[in-house]
Amino acid sequence: MRNGKFAVTVEGVSQAFGPEGDPRRVVALESASLEVARGELLCLIGPSGCGKSTLLNLIGGLMTPSAGEVAIEGERVRGPLPKKIAYVFQESALFPWRTVLDNVKLGMAFQGVPRGERDERARAALTTVGLADFADHYPAQLSGGMKQRAQLARALGLQTDILLMDEPFAALDEQTRMVLGEDLSELLARTGKTIIFVTHSLVEAVFLADRVAVFTARPGRIKTMISVEEGHPRSRAFMTSDKLGRLRNQLYELLHDEIRKTMGDTRP
Amino acid sequence: MRTSPGVARLGVIIALVLVWEVGVRLFGDPLFLSPPSHVAAALWQMLGNGPVMYALGTTLLELVVAFALAVGIGLPVGLVLGLQRFARGSFYPIVLMLYAIPQATILPLVILAFGIGPPSKIAFGFTHAVFPIMVTMVAGVQGVRPSLLVCARSMGASRTQIFWNVILPHMIPSFFTGMRLAMTSDLLGVLLAELYVSQAGVGHYTRLFTESFEPAKLFAIITCLAAIAVVLNELCRRAERHMSRWHE
Amino acid sequence: MSGARLVYRVTQAAFVAAVILVWWLVSRNGYISPILLPPLTDSVHEFVLLIERGAYWPDLSVTLYELVVAFLIASTSGCLIGYLVSRSRFAVRVFDPLFAGLYSIPAILLFPLYVLFFGLGPGSKIAIGATIAFFPIILNTIAGFDYVDRSYITAARSMGASGLQMFWSVMLPAAFPVVLAGLRIGFILAFLSILGSETIASLSGLGHRIVSYAESMDPAKMFAYIFLAIIIAFLLNAFVSTVEARVRRRHG
Repeated sequence: MRNGKFAVTVEGVSQAFGPEGDPRRVVALESASLEVARGELLCLIGPSGCGKSTLLNLIGGLMTPSAGEVAIEGERVRGPLPKKIAYVFQESALFPWRTVLDNVKLGMAFQGVPRGERDERARAALTTVGLADFADHYPAQLSGGMKQRAQLARALGLQTDILLMDEPFAALDEQTRMVLGEDLSELLARTGKTIIFVTHSLVEAVFLADRVAVFTARPGRIKTMISVEEGHPRSRAFMTSDKLGRLRNQLYELLHDEIRKTMGDTRP
Repeated sequence: MRTSPGVARLGVIIALVLVWEVGVRLFGDPLFLSPPSHVAAALWQMLGNGPVMYALGTTLLELVVAFALAVGIGLPVGLVLGLQRFARGSFYPIVLMLYAIPQATILPLVILAFGIGPPSKIAFGFTHAVFPIMVTMVAGVQGVRPSLLVCARSMGASRTQIFWNVILPHMIPSFFTGMRLAMTSDLLGVLLAELYVSQAGVGHYTRLFTESFEPAKLFAIITCLAAIAVVLNELCRRAERHMSRWHE
Repeated sequence: MSGARLVYRVTQAAFVAAVILVWWLVSRNGYISPILLPPLTDSVHEFVLLIERGAYWPDLSVTLYELVVAFLIASTSGCLIGYLVSRSRFAVRVFDPLFAGLYSIPAILLFPLYVLFFGLGPGSKIAIGATIAFFPIILNTIAGFDYVDRSYITAARSMGASGLQMFWSVMLPAAFPVVLAGLRIGFILAFLSILGSETIASLSGLGHRIVSYAESMDPAKMFAYIFLAIIIAFLLNAFVSTVEARVRRRHG
């Protein structure tokens, strides 16, 4: 699998929790395969417990798969790759005892950036997300949307090619989500990073993604891939377009039964 | 090898007892230290010893009476302080200040006032135990969710109805928490007073065994007291847990 | 000051005045033996004398010395062992209930054994102070390090933090507030238990001094030392709270 063409390759990956034969064993993910091109924004969407966050953690090297292989730029993943992959989490994983600027710098310290470069890079990252004025604030003093932007700045400061985002906007209100989504699209257009984005929101998936991977209920398999052929940065017009509406409806049809299944509803 | 934590814990305890036994036998001066086997023997003898058992019983009585007094007085006073705004504003800060005084400083005073017999131990246990009860009762009243009170009032409940049906049920977990804390303080107070000076209670024997350098007997009687403490604490803890099952 | 607050303050002042009045009346008319309750004026006079002459220093220094040594022993051992235990989930499940269970036994019971072993000098007080302070410190240290939010650890790991970086920049700051609270509780408990044990069996120290004046029927001097001990207790409490608050603030 020495294929360097794709940023991320996932081949036949399965993930189960619990020993074999244990009735409580949970198969989160079953035989997932996909390829992510460089500079692509791929969304993973599906009902709760379908393994999309698990897949993200496997790609990021935070877990090793029970079966199958994950490769980043052709090389097999065995552990976290801080120089290639940066994470943005759902709950704000900013360290509350440090200022926003220090949080961004700390990420670089972990990655191994030389001390002299950190300050400049950190301030640049904060400017990119529009938080330059809040550099000396503490996370507790920020709103939810600002905290997530700060997390994004920390991830950007690491200057990786790949960004993994696990429902980063889930805890925010819809209006903030829309704005941050537009910003993210613009960022992608500017930097050409490869982004894998987990979400529950149908509209968010269509608005942001180049492709959407739709998952089944547990055990999660990739049901289908939907292409959204639309350039970045995505415009406001796209949000209100028929195309987005159609794709959203398509997603709804694909997901509806899976969601019902997850809730134990077996009505036809 | 999958050992359960309970088994491992038992293993740790057994290992420590063995170290104690062997260590003291080899290196310990019998005037100061006693191996567990001797302590066990002394304990066995003690259980048949009338006067010592009587002293333990007296101490237990002191504990129970002090506790009952603390609850009997602390509960209503705490309720009044919690419910009556004027009382809370004026007198509660005084209660808190008294609570903060290190009671060890007034131990000799209490003994002077009540003598060296059980009454002084009961008094000292009372002064220790009454405060946690009052404080938890006040906190319990404060802790009733305002939304519940509003809801009751919107349905037309009178003040008495609100008290009996909303506030009082909410107070029950707080009361049992207060009781548990009071028991811990009661133990501390009574034991401190006993160790200071005692004629009829267990402190008499602790002083005797200390001064006559009999570590085995001293440890044995301490074990008896520890057992009493653990049982009383556990009773209060079980009662608290049982009564607080619905608590958020 | 708002109307209600003013009323409360006035009531409290009236209460204190009433207590002083009762004390004065009782001692003037001899309702309670003067051996038990000396005139308030005598006690205050003795207290002032005590402060002026600095006669309190020998006993106070012994008590403070015992406190500092006991606290140092308890905090170093408690934090160290607590941290080591917290590193293994299994160790936590084995030891945490053990320490919590021991905590429910009134540790003052060990004091006669310490007196037997260490004698009447500061050693037995230090031993009991350290023993009693040890438990809240170790329990809080274990809890503090055990409950570091998983998301911080995951985030740091994803950014490539080394073991040492993980400890210094993530675990320690995250656990710090809980550990600090344990240290505060331990310090206060050490002081109270040292004071109590000095009362029971000692040759020096504040607690002992109070006992000696009670036994020598010198109640005015006894009250003077009681006032002093109470003031010291309040000062130590204030000191500890300020330290904790200041560290908290800088910690963010």
